[in-house]
Amino acid sequence: MEAQDSSIETHDLTVIYNKKPAIWNIDFLLPKGKIIGIMGPNGSGKSTLLKAIMGITEPNIGYSKIFNKPLDEVRDRVSYVPQRQSVDWDFPASVYDVVAMGRFAKLGLLKRLTEEDKHIIKDSLEKVKMAPFANRQISQLSGGQQQRVFLARAIAQRADLYLMDEPFVGVDASTEEAIINLLKSLRDEGKTLVVVHHDLHTAQHYFEWLVMMNTRLVASGPAEEVFNEQVLTDTYGGTLTTLSKVANLLQEKSFPMRHK
Amino acid sequence: MNDFWIITTASLVALNTAILGSFLIMRKMAMIGDAISHAVLPGIVIAYFISNSRASFPILVGAAVSGLVVTALIQFFSKKVKLQNDASIGISYTFLFAIGIILISAFGTNVDLDQECVLYGEIAYVPIDLIYWGNQSIGPRQFWILFSTAIIIVTAVIIGFRKLVLTTFDESFAAALGINIVFWQYYLMASVSLTTVVSFESVGAVLVIAFISGPPATAFLITRSFKQMIMYAIGFGISASILGYYTAVWLNGSIAGAMAAVIGLQFALVFSIVKFRQRSRIQDIPVSGA
Ligand SMILES: Nc1ncnc2c1ncn2[C@@H]1O[C@H](COP(=O)(O)OP(=O)(O)OP(=O)(O)O)[C@@H](O)[C@H]1O
Ligand SMILES: [Mg+2]
Repeated sequence: MEAQDSSIETHDLTVIYNKKPAIWNIDFLLPKGKIIGIMGPNGSGKSTLLKAIMGITEPNIGYSKIFNKPLDEVRDRVSYVPQRQSVDWDFPASVYDVVAMGRFAKLGLLKRLTEEDKHIIKDSLEKVKMAPFANRQISQLSGGQQQRVFLARAIAQRADLYLMDEPFVGVDASTEEAIINLLKSLRDEGKTLVVVHHDLHTAQHYFEWLVMMNTRLVASGPAEEVFNEQVLTDTYGGTLTTLSKVANLLQEKSFPMRHK
Repeated sequence: MNDFWIITTASLVALNTAILGSFLIMRKMAMIGDAISHAVLPGIVIAYFISNSRASFPILVGAAVSGLVVTALIQFFSKKVKLQNDASIGISYTFLFAIGIILISAFGTNVDLDQECVLYGEIAYVPIDLIYWGNQSIGPRQFWILFSTAIIIVTAVIIGFRKLVLTTFDESFAAALGINIVFWQYYLMASVSLTTVVSFESVGAVLVIAFISGPPATAFLITRSFKQMIMYAIGFGISASILGYYTAVWLNGSIAGAMAAVIGLQFALVFSIVKFRQRSRIQDIPVSGA
């Protein structure tokens, strides 16, 4: 893959908190138009990596590019979905108010939402099946509904690249399936989805490309190449329990992969 | 006429603090008023030494500057040192307050100066300090100061409303949109410094602190949107000014004390009603098989 065909490109990306690296020397090229998983144990720097790419956290060393351009030139083509727990859901706002935030970047300071904005907001709510809840207080939502609201806000941005931090945490099986189907339909429209994920079992089915990391980059490549014993041990460490889990996973390796 | 000026002055303080307090509560920074009331001390002392007077303008400037310094310190502790918001506030203002005390004890043994000249403004005296146009009185000085402040605050919040709400609700999403969150933090805190310092001088620190956190907290209990929260907070603040004033007249007690007490009562009342309603709603659910 050449840099000009990539969705995200990072070079030596390093973020250090209190003299301890959260991510170290991350170097990769990610393809366009794919569902890409970022995996690693807790504290391995997945959230920090997304924040560094989005310029939310200033990297100490290194840089990243999006669609082969500096972030500031393509900001309106990128959408970031933070971890759901990062906001106070008791904030007095309706579902509609939050999804409307997806349209703010394109609005002037005192401008009102246009008819087109309102249409996009409604459409985004429908895509995540939250339209009946538009006027509901966000403090009265379940965890899965909160996650859908965040997704609707991201869809309302009409971006080409989506960076999502753990969209599957705390949602039930049917919501998880609804979300993955939504991601697939976005992918089919040619969008790129980068998703931080924890569950090794489903990872094999969800992602076409995998980034495995543990502060450092362990591997980045097509899922079926990356998903092997060596990479998994390097990522999750050599403890007995993880090793046996890894063995089990590899036995199931008859997972269906989409080849083009 | 005195009644009118006292109530109007208190209502202007209520208006400004209700707007800003609503943001502060949602940012878990409601104690900032308390912090600024202590943190202004070194600014006041330094302004006193430079101007060599107790005239209120230099003192106000000194206080406003230390208000901004404490904001910068809080920002530094929470963003760079990565402390919790409340811990950052605690450290910053105790630090500045200590500097103020040291300055006073180092230079000021023979100085007739303490926080009280700024912090314990007395609302009952508002109608005495009049401004004249020619030889016609056009109302109390504090009224005009607070009126101008209100115009500044209302304009600033209307202009920045969407960005302030977004950075308050979801800071990292705002940053991802390219919004300068540090700028909006300072924008809000500069407004808070201005409001608190100006209001301290007219109604006293205790009442300002009560106004910043009380009415917005009461409004939060019953609101459905953030705009509505601000409107309710303004309503609670102004009604507390009016009720508090007449309560004080009736009991022949402290005006500021009565207003603060009404603010507390409003919260208690609304809180009980909300809890009571929740309970009766739960009892309404039919219990099957019982
Ligand atoms: N704001 C911060 N200040 C200090 N240290 C931080 C901060 N954010 C993250 N860290 C540290 O950086 C490391 C990586 O954290 P990060 O949140 O990126 O991990 P993660 O892979 O997303 O973990 P999880 O799976 O638990 O979400 C951790 O050791 C964490 O303690
Ligand atoms: Mg994380």
